[in-house]
Amino acid sequence: MEVSLPKTAAKTAQRTTVRRYGVGVLKYALLILVAAIFFVPIFWMASASLKDLREIYTFPPQWIPLTPRWENYVDAWNAAPFGRFYTNTLITTAIGVAAELLFGTMTAYAFVFIPFPKKNLLFLLMLAALMIPIQVTMLPNYLTVANLGWLNTYAGIIVPGASVAFGTFLFRQHFLTLPKEILEAARLEGAGHFQLLTKIVLPLSRPIFVTVGLIALVNKWNDFLWPLIVTNRIDMRVLPVGLAYLFDQEGNSQWGVIMAATIFVVAPILLIFAWAQRHIIAGLTAGATKG
Amino acid sequence: MPTRKGRPWRDYLLFLAFIAPNFILLGIFSYWPLLYQAYLSLTRWDMIAPTKVFVGANNYRFMFAEPGFHRVLLNTAYFTGAILIGSLVIGLALALLLNQRLRGRTLVRGIVFAPYVLSGAAVGLVWSYIFDPVYGLMRVILDWFGIGSPDWLVNTSWAMPAVIIVYLWKNAGYSAIIYLAGLQNIPNELYDAAKVDGATGWATFRYVTLPQLSPTTFFLTVTTIIFSIQAFDIIAVMTEGGPINATTTLMWYLYQQGFVAFRAGLAAAAGMVLFVLLLVITLVQVFIVQRRVHYS
Amino acid sequence: MAGFSRRQFLSFTGGAIGVLALAACGGSSTPTTGTSGGGTTGGATGGTTGTTVSGAATARATQSSGPAPQAGQKKVTFWSAFGGKNGEALTKMVNDFNGSQQTVFIDNQFQGNYDETAQKLAASIAARQVPDMVVLSEVTWNRFSLNKTLQELDGLLTKGGVDPKDYVDSLIAEGTRQGKIWWVPFARSTPLFYYNRTLFKEAGLEDRAPKTWEEVRTFGLAIQKLGKPDLKAYAFTNAKNFNAWHFQGNVWQWGGNYSTKSLDITIDQPAAIEAGEWLRKFVHEDKLAYMAPDQSIDFSNGLAAMTQQSTGSLGTILSTAKFDVGTGLLPEGQKFGCPTGGAGLALLAAAPDDRKQAAIEFIKFVNKPENVAYWSKQSGYMPSTKSARDAAEMQQQFTANPNYKVAVDQLPKTQPQDTARLFIPNGDQTIGTGLERIIVNNEPTATVFKAVAEQLKRDSQDIKDQVKDLGLA
Repeated sequence: MEVSLPKTAAKTAQRTTVRRYGVGVLKYALLILVAAIFFVPIFWMASASLKDLREIYTFPPQWIPLTPRWENYVDAWNAAPFGRFYTNTLITTAIGVAAELLFGTMTAYAFVFIPFPKKNLLFLLMLAALMIPIQVTMLPNYLTVANLGWLNTYAGIIVPGASVAFGTFLFRQHFLTLPKEILEAARLEGAGHFQLLTKIVLPLSRPIFVTVGLIALVNKWNDFLWPLIVTNRIDMRVLPVGLAYLFDQEGNSQWGVIMAATIFVVAPILLIFAWAQRHIIAGLTAGATKG
Repeated sequence: MPTRKGRPWRDYLLFLAFIAPNFILLGIFSYWPLLYQAYLSLTRWDMIAPTKVFVGANNYRFMFAEPGFHRVLLNTAYFTGAILIGSLVIGLALALLLNQRLRGRTLVRGIVFAPYVLSGAAVGLVWSYIFDPVYGLMRVILDWFGIGSPDWLVNTSWAMPAVIIVYLWKNAGYSAIIYLAGLQNIPNELYDAAKVDGATGWATFRYVTLPQLSPTTFFLTVTTIIFSIQAFDIIAVMTEGGPINATTTLMWYLYQQGFVAFRAGLAAAAGMVLFVLLLVITLVQVFIVQRRVHYS
Repeated sequence: MAGFSRRQFLSFTGGAIGVLALAACGGSSTPTTGTSGGGTTGGATGGTTGTTVSGAATARATQSSGPAPQAGQKKVTFWSAFGGKNGEALTKMVNDFNGSQQTVFIDNQFQGNYDETAQKLAASIAARQVPDMVVLSEVTWNRFSLNKTLQELDGLLTKGGVDPKDYVDSLIAEGTRQGKIWWVPFARSTPLFYYNRTLFKEAGLEDRAPKTWEEVRTFGLAIQKLGKPDLKAYAFTNAKNFNAWHFQGNVWQWGGNYSTKSLDITIDQPAAIEAGEWLRKFVHEDKLAYMAPDQSIDFSNGLAAMTQQSTGSLGTILSTAKFDVGTGLLPEGQKFGCPTGGAGLALLAAAPDDRKQAAIEFIKFVNKPENVAYWSKQSGYMPSTKSARDAAEMQQQFTANPNYKVAVDQLPKTQPQDTARLFIPNGDQTIGTGLERIIVNNEPTATVFKAVAEQLKRDSQDIKDQVKDLGLA
């Protein structure tokens, strides 16, 4: 008995180690599988952008093209003024995101910290805007923008999308969780609402700020339908609309070249994301759902 | 927040000033269009004719009498339901995995979230290629398991799953990150207490993790329904509502009627139905959750 | 249009004062004027970004509108619908035109595909800010024509020195309503029969396209005997890819119609049903045919030995196929039948008169034999004038590539499509979806076409009288 006891203990310990080891391996296997599922299609886009039509249509498919066709990128770049599209997209995205952040924080601040009768009803009214699809607003907004003389302008692209409902909602949920005592203290020291917003509330809201900014960035950068509708001239077009210049009416599209142009559209935002990834994910994990 | 007594109008004015930019824009570019479309839904107009003919509720009657329309509603329910369940289950599973102390998890978190930032059109294009039954990557993968590739985008039973897979691929990272946030907000004491009580892994998950995540689940449910019902670009690029209307959701129907067939009145009616549907679904959810919170 | 830019300027000023200050700042940094004010400024030619790379690249950019109009040049805003290779070819022609004379400047603005261009045109009409000239497809132009938004062209053409009689008869007839021309042919196509000569040889078949559908079947059986995996004899396509256009020929070949000239629906009549049943058996009993999302791709990659596709795809198919491509007239059922398709040019009634006349100068230019030949060669669209068809440039093209000649030979035998597909909102998709039910689901044609007919009747209620009034012959 005295001998066997440590023996079983050792056995159990061994078993647990094996089990733990097994579970560990399983977890890593899962992690790799997950990474593959989400990464491979993006890789596939990049790989297709270096193929010619014949290589795209071969089975089994080539993971890495034997002779990478870099000319696809040259062809795509020359098919339309992508330099100009970049400039336009940068301008409309930057101003659009800034507007959303500004309007979103102001509105959310007011909803949380400034008294007003029946403001919850107003808040619900704002949320209802989330449920109006773009196809519903498109035609009336086109007419409005045309009447303002804003067709073919940055204002025409940006202003109709500058209002922010979802972002305001996220900001509000976060602001509700802020410790009231700090605000009260600043208040007693005579700080006005604008100072409270910029000096106290915003510094405490960096994660949610990043989150809302990212969501706005993604939506504005990738917006296709609205910019297509309000611009007629090539020099006012944005990147996603630029992709359309490569499609042939009769369906005879050069897929490799189109994939290269697609990379023009997705690469910058992927790079921004990769660069800011830590902040973004920290921001998202820290602040999205409190309250 | 206590207010300075006697001068509430000052605060009221300030409130209005703070929300004015946002609400003026919402008024011009969201509410006005909605009202305009509500009016259009009572007219017959082809977007080109100078006059709109008032037809009362005819567009609604016509739409609901259309033999294909109940199919459109079913497709919308199928798409939205599958997306909802898919993003909740996959999102939570991913979050649980990515919450483990594993080497490289930060990188994988980034990879999982990356598709969310891509344009829907680009995603639709590359996935159409992946789903090609002859040259597609999916065929290779199915081949490993000895399964033949279905004719994804041509087959009426497979087209919708294909579109759903793509939508989930693009957006699962988002729900995963939100769930991850929820997981990290669960106080450790609760887990410690569960351990003391001798709870197993499953019991802990069932009685601690899930209930603690319910606000997150609620948030995701509401937003996923709102956003997925309005999904457009992936369907536009991959199937255009086909084959045989198998992927025609209310959103695609609305687009097709309005901007391809130029039946602005009918499209407006579809838009109203979509809006009211979303409003009702959301309010019902809020109502249920409030009751539950109230009784517990 | 000075008033327009002024109004725009004012709205910017207003915006800057108001709550939209932020966004309007972005706006004011745009090249100042709107749709047709100052024309394409440096932006289009790449000056604005300033970097050498993008500057150099965009200067070469084939799709940009080229140099700005010179003083005294009348500017015509032209909305076009061609991307890809065809877009490049059109841009070259526009640039050549702008450089060739001093009086007219065409501002070519790409608006997306045919549907998107039509959407934008409808919106622009509602907003009363229309372009002067526009590319409209054989389906989309009807809607604008019914609403009397297009310009009657007879007088303008004659005054501008364009002889309408020079257009290929069947093509100009399609743009003529109640004795007046509204829409002139530009990028016109027809379906064409394609076959894989290499596979035909391997199967011991004659080197020619089958003359009848029964022969397609016989040839198909021979192809099937080759026993190649992944190879089917014949590829149909889906609704998204205009199968209702391709099947229009079949319906006629069996002696039927989608509808009559006065829009009475006849797709549920025996002849049309028989055409559909033949197709169904071809797919489901003979197992020789299937539905390809893009039959060009499947055909060029040797997955289908035969197919029917637009003449507009000839160039791409020839350049991507890894085998010898043969073309032929469409097969016959009881008789021959082949529709026309593609796009033409129209002017907007609301455009200023001097610009309309200026636009005719461009039409005259693209009708020159050398330009017709260039456009046709680049795009695969039909030469739309007789003089160009008979000119040396086109004849050279025929000798160099006999496949082009087949398409042109077929042209005199074509006819405009039935009213159901041309006029009824969603008519193309309604018929096309019905065809999908037959090809994919193996549903009996009679059932399917009955449902399709009902849908078409419902959807045509609003426009039936209008179409009747056209008195189509």
